[in-house]
Amino acid sequence: MEAVKPSFWDKLSVEQIKIELMRTAYGHANTFLSRFDPRVLVIWYAFFAIAPWFIFNKTVLLGMLALMVVLTYTSRVSTLVLVILAVGLVSDVGYMLFVSFFFGGSLDAIWSLSTLTLKLLVISLASIAVFASMDPEKFSDAMLSLGMPAQFSFGISYGYRMLPILIEEYNNLIYSYRLRGRTPRNKGLLKWRYLVYMGKITVIAFYPLILNTAKRTRTTVEALEVKGFTYAMTSSQAKKLKLAYLRIERHDYLFIAVSVLFVAALFTLGRIFPL
Amino acid sequence: MNLNQQEPIIEIHGLTFRYPGATDDVLRDVSLTIARGDFIAIAGGNGSGKSTLCKCLNGLIPNYYVGDFSGSLLINGAPAHEQTVSSLSRQVAYVFQDFENQLVRPSVYDEACFAPLNYGYADYRERGERALQLLGLTHLRDKWIWELSGGQKHMVALAGALSLDPDVIVVDEPVAQLDPFHARLIYDKLRILNEVHGKTIIVIEHHTEFIAEYGNTMLLMDRGRIRWVKPVREALNAISELGELHIEPPQVTEAFHRLRERTTPTTQDSPASSRPLYPVTLAQAADWLDDLSLGKDRYQPDHSNSGDDVSSRDKQTHELPQEADSRSGRQPLVRFEQVTYGYKDMARTTAPVLRGVNLTLYEGDRIALIGNNGAGKSTLMRLISGIRKPQQGRVTVCGQITRAVSPEELSDDVAFIFQNPEEMFIEDSIRKDVEYFLKARRIPDYEAFIEDIMVRFRLKELEQRDGRLMSGGQQRRATLAIGLAMRPKIMLLDEPTASLDLASRREMTELLDRLQDRVQTVIVATHDMQLVADWANRVIVMHNGQVALDTDGRTVFECAPLLEQAGLIPPQIVRLSHMAGISPVCLTVEELVARLIERSCKEETAIGSC
Repeated sequence: MEAVKPSFWDKLSVEQIKIELMRTAYGHANTFLSRFDPRVLVIWYAFFAIAPWFIFNKTVLLGMLALMVVLTYTSRVSTLVLVILAVGLVSDVGYMLFVSFFFGGSLDAIWSLSTLTLKLLVISLASIAVFASMDPEKFSDAMLSLGMPAQFSFGISYGYRMLPILIEEYNNLIYSYRLRGRTPRNKGLLKWRYLVYMGKITVIAFYPLILNTAKRTRTTVEALEVKGFTYAMTSSQAKKLKLAYLRIERHDYLFIAVSVLFVAALFTLGRIFPL
Repeated sequence: MNLNQQEPIIEIHGLTFRYPGATDDVLRDVSLTIARGDFIAIAGGNGSGKSTLCKCLNGLIPNYYVGDFSGSLLINGAPAHEQTVSSLSRQVAYVFQDFENQLVRPSVYDEACFAPLNYGYADYRERGERALQLLGLTHLRDKWIWELSGGQKHMVALAGALSLDPDVIVVDEPVAQLDPFHARLIYDKLRILNEVHGKTIIVIEHHTEFIAEYGNTMLLMDRGRIRWVKPVREALNAISELGELHIEPPQVTEAFHRLRERTTPTTQDSPASSRPLYPVTLAQAADWLDDLSLGKDRYQPDHSNSGDDVSSRDKQTHELPQEADSRSGRQPLVRFEQVTYGYKDMARTTAPVLRGVNLTLYEGDRIALIGNNGAGKSTLMRLISGIRKPQQGRVTVCGQITRAVSPEELSDDVAFIFQNPEEMFIEDSIRKDVEYFLKARRIPDYEAFIEDIMVRFRLKELEQRDGRLMSGGQQRRATLAIGLAMRPKIMLLDEPTASLDLASRREMTELLDRLQDRVQTVIVATHDMQLVADWANRVIVMHNGQVALDTDGRTVFECAPLLEQAGLIPPQIVRLSHMAGISPVCLTVEELVARLIERSCKEETAIGSC
């Protein structure tokens, strides 16, 4: 058991998670969705993230799901993200099975509860497909263009820029705890003591991380000042220049039109063959 | 340099400044004129006001930090207090010492364009491109910031500053966080910007070797005042005055100063102005060596030799280091057998960092692990500490195979001091940090032991402070104390002298010297060649994930071609002994002086005073 464990952790190392995360965020320049204007994508996404909550017709939801599966496939999403989604889904279904049998229900209950699962699936796949195709820069520009304040849109791109550094530092802090700490001698049933120990340092390592980050902000703030970030917020020139590349073209309109037609067709179908 | 005679670009009169809430003035009655096109180095101890002075130049003081400000400051002939940070920043660019946190954009290209975009220049793309091109960074254009090495990040920060096409560029301690090789790259670029593009360059610097080679004028600050402004060569000849402020002159200057003191004892009586100026760079030293008739005629460069040839030649001419012979009798503590390790990159391909490394480390070794960035030094140390496991091969530490034990178990024998001290401060006071290991192991009666360590590392007064709020030198001392309180057999230190001023560096070397009676072996990964020369008894050169050379401190510096290949620059004193044709090379100034006197006596040279 001891000999196998490290190799498992090697595979699921923080390093690996960091790379997958950055790949998901910045990795794909040429997917189907990445061709469209980010503002169009944001609006498109807003519809598919909100509408499913108000739809109870399974035919419509299944149709949407089919669309999302195809789009997710074209977005070349990393396996790690899909695995996380699958784990969530399996536990969700498992829990519904358990609850329904526990209270003496039958498989019918699952059928009706699965509506919620379908909704969640549509929304999550839509998020994955859109955000894997649109890097944080474009997303931040789209938000700026749609009227969000400059600090907000800068925050999005700066947050992503800092993420790998923060992850690395967090990782090192965890090692600081581990290299000076002591794993419980008696690991306990199913290693629960060990899990508690790891869980505890996972949480407390955030404190030094926050303090270190706070200390470093001074340079960042001065650098932003020198580089004219505050100046740009008062002049409209910078915003205009920055967003000049955003242009809604014919294929964007086509994309919207096809999406609208598809959804309309789904609703018609759903009325004729409701599930 | 002939631009020197032109009109002043910066004029300061009677400048005094105090940070809001502070009790003392940081700058006191500073008056200074900087000529357009100058290359000026500002030196001074910690807290002497160097950074504060520079922050006045781009308006951060007093426009952003509103404190007690008096005096006048003219930039390009216009009073600074009538302008804003944004208009001054376009004339005076500032590159911060902390290069990581001044980069605010995700990609190199975005960073280079960021400032001109903010200031609304329609040609912001061209400006960014031009800045990248000027620094030879065009090949990095599409890289993400987090993929860059430290040296590259610093270059990108400089590009960001250049994009506004400023008249003055201020760089805060370019050498502090870089190895000498990358520091030179930065300085070479600054020289081009100065000589070809006519920029005025201001660097905050206390590495006099760099000041000597690249600077034109040197400004010495002391407790908020300007002591003097002098041409570099004259400035660095003020040896005793620099010493007072803990600034070391270049080793060549030191060497010829001592040589002259020894050989012509009358110098002290005669005024300093009557003696010729000592050399401050290696190039100038060559002339002096010629005068001593010990010079170039005797120096036979052999750059054509490969590293292997040199080391084999060395084996013939010198005795083998004693360590190699006596090793068999000593206890092996760490053993690497065919160890391979790689990291995955963004394209999911594994980039090998260590390739089939075989290595045995023994009790009593004081190992310096050297090599350029990415050569695998840090990975090697991580494998010993157990926080990385080999992908192939086997690492054995104190009889335990690392793959089979947790880092916690290994930490009974191994202490790992990270490069960044802040990542080791996991408690809210230094005392608690030092105690952490013993407390976690429920070891009774540790107080006396901890007390001893706190005193030994001069941390007693600081023990209730948070490590993050201490100075760089104090932080290093604290991390060393944390390591020693773990009572390890093996101690690993990653860049223990990086970004320290010279006084703290020397202190660190002394502390490392004293570790030996408590720790069985110490392994230091470092770029600091002076530390290698002063401290190590075994030097391992890493290159491309393999051990390129494993020898002692003296032999390693004989292998000039190999060092060059590995991107390493030997200490100046070693290069000077090469020039003087002294072999084996000298590792300290004292040694070289003794050898030169010895030789000149033998040959009854012109000095003739032995």
